[in-house]
Order: sequence, then structure tokens, then C-alpha cells
Amino acid sequence: MAGIADFLDSLIGGFDLICYALTIGCLFWTLFLFQPWKERIDSSNTLLLERTITLIYKGGFWLTGAQLFKIVLKIWLMTAILEKSPFPEFAETTQFIGGLTRATLAFIFASYVYHFLKLNPFSKSRWLIASLLAVPMIISGAWLVHGAGRFENQTLLMTLTLIHQVAAAAWIGGVFQLLNVWQFVKLNKLSTNYWRQLLKKFTILGAASVAVILMSGIPLALQYIDSWNGLMGSGYGNLLLVKITLLGIALYFANLNRYAAQNNDNYSLTFYVPHYIEAETFVLITLLFTAASLASQPPAIDIPSLTASWQDVLNTFAPQIPSLSSPTHTDLISGEAGRTAIIGQIPSIAATEWSNYNHNVAGIFLTTMSFFAMLSYLRYRVLQFCKFWSVGFIALGIFLFFRSDAETWPLGSIGFWDSTFNNGEVLQHRIATLLVFTLGVIELSSRVKPNYSQKLPFIFPILAALGGLMLLTHSHVGFQPKSAFLIQVGHTTMGVFSLILACGRWLELNLEGKKRAFSGFVSVAALFQIGLILMFYREPLY
Amino acid sequence: MKKIILLLLCIFYIQTPFSHAVITDYSLKIAPIHSNHADEVELEFNSKIELGLSQVFLVSKGDKHELLKAHIGKKQGQIVVEIPPIDVGEYALRFKVFAADGHLTEDVIHFSVME
Repeated sequence: MAGIADFLDSLIGGFDLICYALTIGCLFWTLFLFQPWKERIDSSNTLLLERTITLIYKGGFWLTGAQLFKIVLKIWLMTAILEKSPFPEFAETTQFIGGLTRATLAFIFASYVYHFLKLNPFSKSRWLIASLLAVPMIISGAWLVHGAGRFENQTLLMTLTLIHQVAAAAWIGGVFQLLNVWQFVKLNKLSTNYWRQLLKKFTILGAASVAVILMSGIPLALQYIDSWNGLMGSGYGNLLLVKITLLGIALYFANLNRYAAQNNDNYSLTFYVPHYIEAETFVLITLLFTAASLASQPPAIDIPSLTASWQDVLNTFAPQIPSLSSPTHTDLISGEAGRTAIIGQIPSIAATEWSNYNHNVAGIFLTTMSFFAMLSYLRYRVLQFCKFWSVGFIALGIFLFFRSDAETWPLGSIGFWDSTFNNGEVLQHRIATLLVFTLGVIELSSRVKPNYSQKLPFIFPILAALGGLMLLTHSHVGFQPKSAFLIQVGHTTMGVFSLILACGRWLELNLEGKKRAFSGFVSVAALFQIGLILMFYREPLY
Repeated sequence: MKKIILLLLCIFYIQTPFSHAVITDYSLKIAPIHSNHADEVELEFNSKIELGLSQVFLVSKGDKHELLKAHIGKKQGQIVVEIPPIDVGEYALRFKVFAADGHLTEDVIHFSVME
């Protein structure tokens, strides 16, 4: 059960950040953009205001639940790992006291919004009281961040992290709110003119938020990473680079929106911008989960002797002949006892070759199918057969099911349910396998007979984004951080490409004309890149 | 649709526990343990450790585990582990520590015992 507890413990970190962004972002939106006590309010604006208040208190209540659930999971996890009750010691820890305090403050804030602000949403004084109640809730989060456990510059790190979180929440919560507004515009309850005005206003808030994110994030990064090798060759540095990349992608979409709003391009504002915002949301949610994942990594500054060099990292991506021969299942199993031993550990060549084979063959599947997928965009009659490229996903799913975890059913002795729910890594592989298989079935039906009004094809980009999320937060447990990192770096790079794949396909399904074809091509080109990384993958010996 | 997306995002989010607290130094590097002498090993972490929620094991041949007594050291983030008299051979210290930032970390330090 420790695997499930750990799985949920990690999950709740990202969910916590989403709730936080929702409640704080919508609060900022109202205070700085909407200002209901100032504007002339008509019935449609009232609807929007009601929805915004609902998002604020729901976000607050969910945040309360997330905090409490975090505490329960910690107790569960510690009981499972330490094999004893964590009490009374746990009750005296900063995590327990800080978590309970934050949950209480979030509950008070959400309750005020629900019971008082909701009844009189045009009252400036009630918005001010709500803002004042949010302040202690925000500050209480400082004791739950990494800086709280550090010995040097503790107050500075806690403060910078808080500012970073608030700025990110203002931006990301604001984007959630844009999606909310768009729903009203789509239903003709708000005018496109008002939509354009809000977009323009949000550009300023968004730009200010990003500036604060950078101003707080850069000194934080310099506190935790003190060398180029630390940036390139540690899990912490790698996830930071991923965050920077995702930030760049999100800003690209934000810039498209800004451009359309400033040029009063009504067609773009109605037919393109909402979908750019949806794609931006994919990126920003992934960014939040990556931020939660980053918090579980030791800072590079603490492990200078355990980081890989940039040459090691580049070597991980170097083209090589794919491994097409696999050790036997018996060889693999016989090496496991030595590999997992603590005293007299013997690295297993069979385990490394087994993994190389799995990754490389999966890479051949993906490279081949994405090559045909790219050809399918040429629209030549002779290349009609290329539209069946997604059959490759189904074949890949079957391959992964048999090959991912040799020690488990159907090839190994550990039962299906036992291995799935007692080992986080096996659970990840099982979910990934299911995702790939499902993707294949859905995508095949939607590519053979494209119907852009159906909802089923949208499952593909959603699952691809989930796959990317998994890859970005996937780490292999081991006692050698350098080996674990070299495995992680390939997975995180593929995670970024998966997200590009998801965004590209989402836009292809929503946009029109050349933009549709361009997005679709970018999407399958990203899949091709994933295939290349897998095809040249080499697992370190450990 | 959005609720489904959010739910799916939550369900499929996964991560494994390579956590934040790490050993930054330990006394075994400069002070090896000699056979059949009770001794102490100092472990220094990059973060404050909750000792009551942490465990340190001595691992001997055949991966046999023995829970060791430990107390907080004089330096920040330091834990002092009491090693019982042991024979010559290969050993490891395996620890599960709960850091002040809320992460549980597992790690292993290998060492040899000489005459």
C-alpha cells in the first residue's frame, strides 16, 4: 500500500497548486480587472461575477481538502514505510502544524466568500475583507515549502517562494478565468467586444505576473543551483529547464492572444484565441505539476559530487544503433537478486539490455508511425494508406504490456494486482500501457473518418498531455542519483514533446485551414522526436 | 468536458519518492570503523531532520537489517548513529528520514570494517 500512498501524496501536490491558482488567480482577477464595485454591471456581467465567486470559494474549499488529505497521506505513508505509528512525533512537526493551519485559514477564507461575499458581490468592503483573509492563508504556505527546511537564507527562500507562487497563481488562475469568460461569450451571454476588452486588460496583469515570476524565480534558482553541471546534470536542474521551456511555450500562446486582442482581430479573437488559451491551459497545468515534482528533488547545490556532466547528458541523446536483441526472461530474473541487493550489489547487464530493447523497439514503432503520419499531411492520393499510421499505437501497447516489468505477470512470478498496487513504478508502466493502447483505438477511428464536430478525437490530445505529465514527473527509484538522473533526462525531454504533441493535435481539431494543417504537422513531428529519443535510448548500468 | 480533463489529470499524475533531504557529509569518509568496537557515525543532511520519524539500519551480509539508535548531533542537520561492535566485513547504513520539508527519503551508505 506504500506505493498507492506515495502515488497519491505526489498527486495531491499538483492538485493543491491548481486549487491555489484557481482561488488566488480569480481573486486577483476580480480585484484588478473586474472590480465589480466600480463597473456598471448588467445582467450578463452579474452572471460572470457569480461564476467567478463560485470558482474562488470552490478553489478555497478544495484547497482545504487537499491540505487535509496531504496530512492523512503523510501519516499513511510514514506508517507504511516506518512500520509504526508516526504519532505523537508527527503532531509536533512543522508539516503537521503548518498543514493544519493552512487548511484552517483556507477554510475560513472560502467560508467568508461563500457566506458573505456571495450575498453582496458588489460591496468593495467585502472584497477587501476577503483579500485580507487571503493574506494569512498565503503566508501560512511559507512553512510548507522547501525553504522552510533549509539552514541558509531560510527567510529569504521562504519569501521568494511565496511571491513566486502568488505570481504564478495570478497568471494561471487568470487563464482559467479566461476560459470561464469564453464559455459565456460562446453562449452569447457576453459580447465579443467585452471579451476583447478583458483580454487586453489581462495582458497587463499577465505580463506583470510573469515579470514577478522571473524576478522571484531567478534568485531562487541561483540559491539552489551553483554550476552549469548542476543545471544540466541534476534532476533539480533538469526540471527547472523543463519549467523554463514550458514557460516559453505558454508565453508563445499568450503572445498570440495579445497580438489578436491589440489588433482588434475579431475573427482571430473568436475562432483562434479561445483554442490558444485552451492549449496554454494544458501547458500551465503541466507547469504546476512539474513545479510540484521539482519540490521533491534535492537541490543541485547539495549534491555536487553526484551530478552528471553536460557531456554525459548529451551522450544520452547521441544516435546509436538500436538494440534489437533482448536477453532472455530467465537471464533478467537471475540478475535481479544481485541488482537489488544492498550488500554485494552486482549491476545487472541483463536488466540494462532488457530496458534498452524495450525503449529502442518502442522508438522504432513511434518513429515509423510518425514518419507515415507526417507523410499523410502531404495529401497525395498515393499516400492515402498513411492515414492508418495510428495502428502502430495498438501494437505498441501490446508490446509494452508484455515487456515493461519482467518480474510481474504475465512473464514474472509477481501477480498482476500485487505488482500494480505495491510498486509505484509498475503502476506507472501499467497506466502508460493502457494510455497507449487507448490512444491507438481512438485515433485510428478519428483519422480514418475525420469528423471535427465529434468529441471522441479530443481524447487523443488529452491522453497525450497526460502521458507528457507522467513522463515529466516520472523518476526511477534508485540509490544512485546520477544513474537515476540520466534515465530521468530522457523521460522529461519526451514529456515536453508529448505536451507539444497534445497542444498541436488539440489545435488541429479546433482551428481551420492552414493553421489546422500546421498544428497537425507540428504534433506528429513532436511524436517523431519522441520516437528518435526512444530509439537511441541507453540505460545506465546500475 | 473540463471536469473530466481535470479528473484525468489528477488520476494519472504520478511521481516516485526521490526526495529532498540528502546526505551532504558523513564521518565514515575520514573515520573508518574498526572491528569489535562500539562506535558512532555522524550523518549530515542538507535539511532539518525529524529524528522521531526517522530510522537508521545497519545492513550486514545477506541484507540483514538491524535498527540502530540515533540522536541529534551538535551541528545543524546532523544525526549521530550508534554502531554496535561488529566483525570485519562489508556493511551499509540504510536510513529512512523525514525532513522538515515533509519529504521522506531513503538512502544507503556502504562501508567496510577493518581490523
